[in-house]
Parts: sequence; structure tokens; C-alpha cells
Amino acid sequence: MLIHVRAFASFREILGKEKDMDVDGGSTVGDLLDILASSHQGLGPAVFEEDGRVREYVIILRNRERIDSLEGLATVLEEGDEVAILPPVAGG
Amino acid sequence: MTGEDPYPPRRQVLIAEEGFSMDEAIEAVKRDDAGAVVAFIGTVRDDGIDSLHLETYKEAAEEELLAIREEALARFGLLEAVVIHRSGRLRIGDEIVIVACSAAHRREAFDGCRYILEELKRRASIWKKEVGPAGERWLEVGGDPAQARPGEERSHEERDGLEAG
Repeated sequence: MLIHVRAFASFREILGKEKDMDVDGGSTVGDLLDILASSHQGLGPAVFEEDGRVREYVIILRNRERIDSLEGLATVLEEGDEVAILPPVAGG
Repeated sequence: MTGEDPYPPRRQVLIAEEGFSMDEAIEAVKRDDAGAVVAFIGTVRDDGIDSLHLETYKEAAEEELLAIREEALARFGLLEAVVIHRSGRLRIGDEIVIVACSAAHRREAFDGCRYILEELKRRASIWKKEVGPAGERWLEVGGDPAQARPGEERSHEERDGLEAG
């Protein structure tokens, strides 16, 4: 199934602005991030702590909703979902 | 008949690709029942940089700004609030953001304006990249400036966070 991935700022420079990823049905957000991290050098350490948790100020959105308020990395993806990977914000 | 709403909805939050009018933002929050208008305007400071690039996730940032605005209206009794934040390339002295608020009295207007600004810095999907003689670097503060990672130089933005308001 196709998942639309968007990345911003420093993560965009690693991943590209947006892309469609073809992943197995039933894949989770964590599965998707693992695939991306294995194919893009520097992404893994930028997104994850050494123990595998998402870094505190990194925000992952599924369909513009934070995965923290869903089931975290275990959130199951569906065909056509958008996953956005955001580094720590710095507006204002 | 109650007649027309005297305060029809206006454009309340905006990620702007180009420069915005500070006067229009301030005019947009003025009301006859408001005794105070407070506006915070953030500008690009010369920290030895040539320019500042602002990247946004526009849809998510505008959603978050709307939510922050609603919170401020409810929490501080603001009558109106407008938030405009730039994206794209900015030069020294350019306006980055305006938060304009009106309230019956000054205290609510000051407090509400500060709340919107602080939450915006913490929550809205906006990133800054400094471009200067030393190269380029993303400012990634995130959350409480006091929680900056050990060993990291305090950035432009962290100082901003501590000084704002």
C-alpha cells in the first residue's frame, strides 16, 4: 500500500520533501520509519534515541495528527495515509 | 432579528509567503468594546547572518495557530486575535511574525498576546535556517529553551525565547 511521506527542514534535507512509499499492508508508523532510516543515512540518529524511542522534540504526524495521541510507533497505517516527520520547531 | 454580526469572522491566522501589513493586522482586531490592543512583532535580528529562511508545514501550522488562538480567546477573554507568520527568505529587520490581540483591558491583551507567542514558538510547524558567512544552520530549539540539549550552544532562538515578552 502507498503511504505519502513528507519531511521538513533538516529532515527534508535528508529524505527529500515528499515521496510515496510502498509498504506491506498492516505496517506501522515504526515499520515505515525503520525502512526510511535504513535507506537514508543520518535519519535514524536524528529521529530516534538509542533505545529506539522517538526523540523528545521530534514530531511524527499521521494525517496531521500526532502519533503520541494515537498508538505511537505502533500506529497501524492505511492505504493513502500521510506521514509527516518534523524536527524540533523554531517559529516566532 | 438580531441583525448582522457586528464582528464577522476575519482571516485570523495566516502563514504568509510575502510581507504583511502590520497596520492591517492591528486594525483587524480593533473593536468598539475593546479598550486595549497589544501587538507583538518579531523581526530578524542581525546576529552576523545574511538572511533567515523560514520553512513551514503550512496546513499543520495554520491548524495549530487556530487552536492556539482559540485557547487564548477562551483563557484570557480576548475579543479578537490575529496571527500572521512569514515563510520564505527574510532579510535583517524584516518582520517574522505579528500577534495582535484586543481585549477590554490591557492585562488580558498583554497576557493573551504573550500566550499565543509562546505557544506558537513551542507548537507551530515552523523552522528557521540561518544563512551567513559561516554557512547554513537550522535552529532547532523545540519546547522549553531551558531544556536545550547539553553541550549545545544557546542559539539565536533560545535567547529569543528567554527574552520574548
